[in-house]
Amino acid sequence: MMKSKFPYLIAALVLIALYVGDEQRWFRRVHAQSGPMPQAECDKLRDKPDVAAAKACYTKLTQSRDPWAIAEGYLGLGNMGSANTAFQAAIAANKKDPVRLTRWGQMYILIDQPKDARDCFEESLELDPDYAPAMMGMAKVLSIGYDGEATKWAEKALKADPKMYQAHELMAQMHLEDNNEAKALEDAKNALQIAPNDALQAMAILATIEQMNDRPGKEWLDKIFKIRSNYGEAYETMGHFFVINRRYDEGIAAYRKALELKPDLWTARAELGVNLMRFGKDEEARMQLEKTFNEGPAPSLLIVRNSLKLLDSYANFETTTTPRTILKLQKKEAALLRPYIQEEFETALTTYEKKYKFKLDGPVQIEVYPDHEDFAVRTMGMPGLGALGVTFGKVVAMDSPNGRKPGEFHWAATMWHELSHVYVLTMTQSRTPRWFTEGLAVYEETAVHPEWGDRMTPREIKAIKEKKLLPIADLDRGYIHPSYPEQVIVSYYQGGRVLTYIIDKWGFDAVLKMIDGYKNLKDTPTVLKDALGVTPEEFDAQFFPWLEKDTKTAVDGFDNWTKRLKDVAASAKEKQWDAVIKDGLEIRDIYPDYIEPANVYEFLSQAYLGKGDKPKAITQLEAWAEHGGRTPATLKQLADLQMEAGNKKAAVSALEKLNFIFLKDEVAHQKLGTLYMELGNPKGAVREFQGVLGSGTIDQAGAHYNLATAYRAVKQNDKALEEVFASLEAAPGYKPAQKLLLELSAQ
Amino acid sequence: MRTVLLLAAAALSVQANSFYLTVAGLGGEPDYEQRFTAWAGDMKKALAGEAGAKVEVLTGKDATKANIQAKLAGFASQAKADDTLAVFFIGHGTFDDIDYKLNIPGQDISASELADALNKIPARQLVVIGTSASGGAIEKLQKDKRTVITATKAGTEKNATVFARFWVEAFRDPAADTDKNQTLTALEVYKYARLKTKDYFDTQKRLATEHSMLEDTGKGDGENDPSVANGQGLLAGRFPLLHLGSAATVAATPAKQALLKKKDDLETSIDELKYKKASMDTPAYTKQMQQLLLELAKVQASLDQ
Repeated sequence: MMKSKFPYLIAALVLIALYVGDEQRWFRRVHAQSGPMPQAECDKLRDKPDVAAAKACYTKLTQSRDPWAIAEGYLGLGNMGSANTAFQAAIAANKKDPVRLTRWGQMYILIDQPKDARDCFEESLELDPDYAPAMMGMAKVLSIGYDGEATKWAEKALKADPKMYQAHELMAQMHLEDNNEAKALEDAKNALQIAPNDALQAMAILATIEQMNDRPGKEWLDKIFKIRSNYGEAYETMGHFFVINRRYDEGIAAYRKALELKPDLWTARAELGVNLMRFGKDEEARMQLEKTFNEGPAPSLLIVRNSLKLLDSYANFETTTTPRTILKLQKKEAALLRPYIQEEFETALTTYEKKYKFKLDGPVQIEVYPDHEDFAVRTMGMPGLGALGVTFGKVVAMDSPNGRKPGEFHWAATMWHELSHVYVLTMTQSRTPRWFTEGLAVYEETAVHPEWGDRMTPREIKAIKEKKLLPIADLDRGYIHPSYPEQVIVSYYQGGRVLTYIIDKWGFDAVLKMIDGYKNLKDTPTVLKDALGVTPEEFDAQFFPWLEKDTKTAVDGFDNWTKRLKDVAASAKEKQWDAVIKDGLEIRDIYPDYIEPANVYEFLSQAYLGKGDKPKAITQLEAWAEHGGRTPATLKQLADLQMEAGNKKAAVSALEKLNFIFLKDEVAHQKLGTLYMELGNPKGAVREFQGVLGSGTIDQAGAHYNLATAYRAVKQNDKALEEVFASLEAAPGYKPAQKLLLELSAQ
Repeated sequence: MRTVLLLAAAALSVQANSFYLTVAGLGGEPDYEQRFTAWAGDMKKALAGEAGAKVEVLTGKDATKANIQAKLAGFASQAKADDTLAVFFIGHGTFDDIDYKLNIPGQDISASELADALNKIPARQLVVIGTSASGGAIEKLQKDKRTVITATKAGTEKNATVFARFWVEAFRDPAADTDKNQTLTALEVYKYARLKTKDYFDTQKRLATEHSMLEDTGKGDGENDPSVANGQGLLAGRFPLLHLGSAATVAATPAKQALLKKKDDLETSIDELKYKKASMDTPAYTKQMQQLLLELAKVQASLDQ
């Protein structure tokens, strides 16, 4: 990556511009005898727009003796490093000024340092607890992280300053992120009532609502551009909403329009680059990102740096294609993963095509990242993402089975989940609400295999017990603006249960009807009425009792179960096997879905093994696996016990389960390959012995030889010959391979 | 490379003696104590069937400096130049920027003191230090005709190690005999333990806190991945640690001398071809290699009749 830095162009200070007018008022209030804020005149030129004059104005500020003016000058020029230094000096010169601290915080927002931004706003509020711009700063910084607390701060800011229309604008934005158009509309209009000619973001939100509903929104756009002809931020806002609603094509188009109006709107250019990358348009993505890096504010946005770094790493990936699949794997793990992922990929596409009665018009791309942080950058532009897979149109990015600790991640369930999105989002042109898309994908995980998919964990039990699940009409809020830390995960669970309930009661055709309804831009109440014949309230009135009944034993018995599980664990530690068996059997079925480490099944199995009763130990571990147990070591233990008991088919089943969870285990592949050969499934053995090789076994000769025997069994003698030669190249004197070579050569 | 094979063959057929000493140092806590003693026991078990081997193990309170020195002195009085001596140290170690020390009951033993004792033994030697900070011992122990293997690349890698666990595991896993000649060499065991150690840290998603080293040239810092390219591993590849099957009893009857000679020539050609691989185009290499391998298989079939 060759880059130079020209940090002299004017940055797109969208967020800061939002608050300048009000800060000016507040500035005068705080500094009763002072004149305007140092950058006020320059900002006016920037908004006029007179870029050259604004640049000259900001440059002049940098030559001032006042460190605050210098800071504002550099900020206006997009030289964040120098602005930061100058802000430090400005604050040292006047430690009691909440305005400077707030401005500094706003600078930190621009350079992706939300924690520092928050610190500044908090310090500012310590100096002046009623300083509304600092409250708005808090609201903004929290809203960037989709934190539900942002609303509270915006409301506080409004209370402190009822004329702060930006608070209404921000709340309108957050409501629209929750897909609550009515509330978004209300707040946007409130903002316009306060500032009919200044609330440009409110107008942008209103135009966005129109466009999201496939209407042009011309009235609002015309009004915006009449006030400020180069307000590219309006399209940037649209781009943001298209993207978060997975309408990436339209998002990209909106970002392009934003840049036509304002080529130096670097945040929009960065988003354009990132979204092009999401769509696999790597070349143009690189061009946009490099332009942002080279010409935009310095230091450049983290999202830009991360994305460019990731694009560089693509040289380490290899891609294989079939007419309907594109599979992109890191070279180092491609040999191991490809056979498994490709097979499941094809199966999923065939299944969904039939199930959704829809044929995709081109191949689907899956990208698999062994480094979770690369995957996070690929999807969000930033590391730290908790998700396992993300879908962009017909492109799926996901963690590699090797990207997480063994047992943490069911890669096949994740893949099916994401591929469900590909179908549903393509069929509806991404018009489904998040609860429906995610709920259906969660449902699909267990529809493939009952033991796949996530179980009800203690956090969901707690949420049910405390009645924290959301009405269906508000369920999207749980995904976008959670009001408690685990609400996103709980909402995934609830979405899955909602879809399970719908399918159980109305059948899968009802789901297809709902998809059709969303495709035709109907809202959830209408879709529910048309497809299920119920209002949202009626749905909730049926769904919640059903869920409560279904989970009653676990929810009601959870406290007792928790207490007694501790006793079981203590007995197991002391090897008091009779006590483990007695208590374990009594509590196991209170909460049978608990299959995480320290579960009753494993304690029971341990106890039975301690007493020499292997059949009962096997029974417990089989029940654990059927309930979705994923710990690789335990699955392997189960397979070993089953083999020892002579039940090879059951051992195969256990090892096959392991393959969907963790693949880099040559011993498991070796065992499964051998079992397949013994049970007359040489095709399966070929895949498993390839798995041994792909795992990087030290025993290359043995692995190639085994693969050769499997190929021979499926009558692919040419490949068998290749493998036997590979075996002998590693170990020329390996007698079984020599014998096989002579036999193959004689044929 | 042919020399390597001939020497290996010599190691298999000549009536040389093998001496083994395994020392399990202090664990510091019961879990480690138990683990180290178990690994030493596993080593003893694995070597028990080795013909003509003298296997000594020191664990727990017996693993003192005096006992270690006494065992090595005993070997010095018995061993000849064509014998082999393999010494394994399991446990925790320290490095003070000057010398490495193995933590044992009583006074610790340093790498310099070990070197003094080992230098008196005429046999070909393998010294494996599977402890924390063991990389710090390389400089003191390295010597012509001695292979030194350590669990860490330097004395600064101070965390408890897992290398020794996989070193011991190699003796139980037939996969470790990568060339399938039924003789486990020091190089094969090293490569097995190195790979398993790496996999262990990769799988656990933990930053690797140990990087094993092999040094068998008598100079330099050693290599984590010994190869022809870096010149390490030649001696280790010739050092037999365990015979797994009938390799030691290959009958060379006069009637089969011609076939044996042919086999020998083919093996030489295969080795030579492998070394030319980088400079050849792939189809030509593959063709020649396949011809040689097929011919070798035929000769072996005749020998086995």
